[in-house]
Amino acid sequence: MMFFVTVIALFPAMFLALGRAIVGPTLYDRVLAVNSFGTFTVLMIAVLGFMTDQTDFVDIALTYALINFIGTIAVLKFFVVGDFGYEEQRDQ
Amino acid sequence: MINFLSWVLLLSGCFCVLISAIGLIRMPDLFTRMHAAGVGDTLGAILVIAGLMLQAGPTLLLAKLVLIMFFLLFTGPTACHALAKAALAGGEKPLLDDNNQ
Amino acid sequence: MSTLIDILLLSLMGITALAAVRMKSLFGAVMLTGIFSLLSALWFLILDAVDVSFTEAAVGAGISTVLMLGTLSLTKSEEKTSNHSQIIPLFVVFVTGGVLIYGTLDMPDFADPLAPIHTHVAPHYIEKSGAEIGVPNIVTSVLASYRGFDTLGEVTVIFTAGVGVLLLLGIGRRREDGDE
Repeated sequence: MMFFVTVIALFPAMFLALGRAIVGPTLYDRVLAVNSFGTFTVLMIAVLGFMTDQTDFVDIALTYALINFIGTIAVLKFFVVGDFGYEEQRDQ
Repeated sequence: MINFLSWVLLLSGCFCVLISAIGLIRMPDLFTRMHAAGVGDTLGAILVIAGLMLQAGPTLLLAKLVLIMFFLLFTGPTACHALAKAALAGGEKPLLDDNNQ
Repeated sequence: MSTLIDILLLSLMGITALAAVRMKSLFGAVMLTGIFSLLSALWFLILDAVDVSFTEAAVGAGISTVLMLGTLSLTKSEEKTSNHSQIIPLFVVFVTGGVLIYGTLDMPDFADPLAPIHTHVAPHYIEKSGAEIGVPNIVTSVLASYRGFDTLGEVTVIFTAGVGVLLLLGIGRRREDGDE
């Protein structure tokens, strides 16, 4: 029961984060919203695993936490550098 | 007793996550929104995971939950810092009070 | 109880998909597809397809977002407004959707125990794979033993792709080092 309540309480947070990702207005707002959304997803996967007694979901939550971080950093590197190559290569 | 503690931790975690999501929508500019998102990314996540840890008991599951907690604890602020740095480099200005400018 | 979760999750997915289609800023659309693949991975988890969910998380949320951003760095980041009439595409979409829905009519009911997939080889795998292969996990024994050649082919394709990418990247960088 407590896991169910937690999952249901996480849904409004996901809706609101999705709203921020849709509205924007700047690109950084969207990245922030996606990052928060990923954290909420990690939490929801872990809680869902406990709710359905399939605790191997926790492994997936672990993977997600890492992928979410790497994704955010990759997107931000894209903003700062402009592409994923080396900066020297752009000048040539 | 453990169940009661779990309830308290999970509900307070949900409260933090909801507060941060509302802040994400309601705050006026990017940097205040990042401030709001930090609440859910660290405190809310840690409270929810701690509530799950009480239910897991001393097993391998507990170790995995501790790992998730540490990853979230370290990656959240790092990502936030990188975001703020990229935003400043990209020309975003924080919204300031007019009297102090 | 779980029906409520299903409805909420599917409505989130629907909103995300519609918003990604309507969005003019291509960068925002890329971010929304990232969210969508997170959601669909969650949905696969609820459907008990843990391995598919793992793949979706790594490929959908990780790699494809990065690839699409790489593409955006080569193109414009705003959607071009189209001058074409949208009636013919709409017609094609409706016809395709209608044909697909017509195709599902012949399918067995969801979780029907008499469906072909449950009566053909699945009982054999479930009953005998432990004795024949000796691996506790049925999925592993199917992938690595019963369908071993298939998996070998897949691994070969992935290996070739990886070698190709490494060659493309490595040669370019070595030549640049020589110039400097």
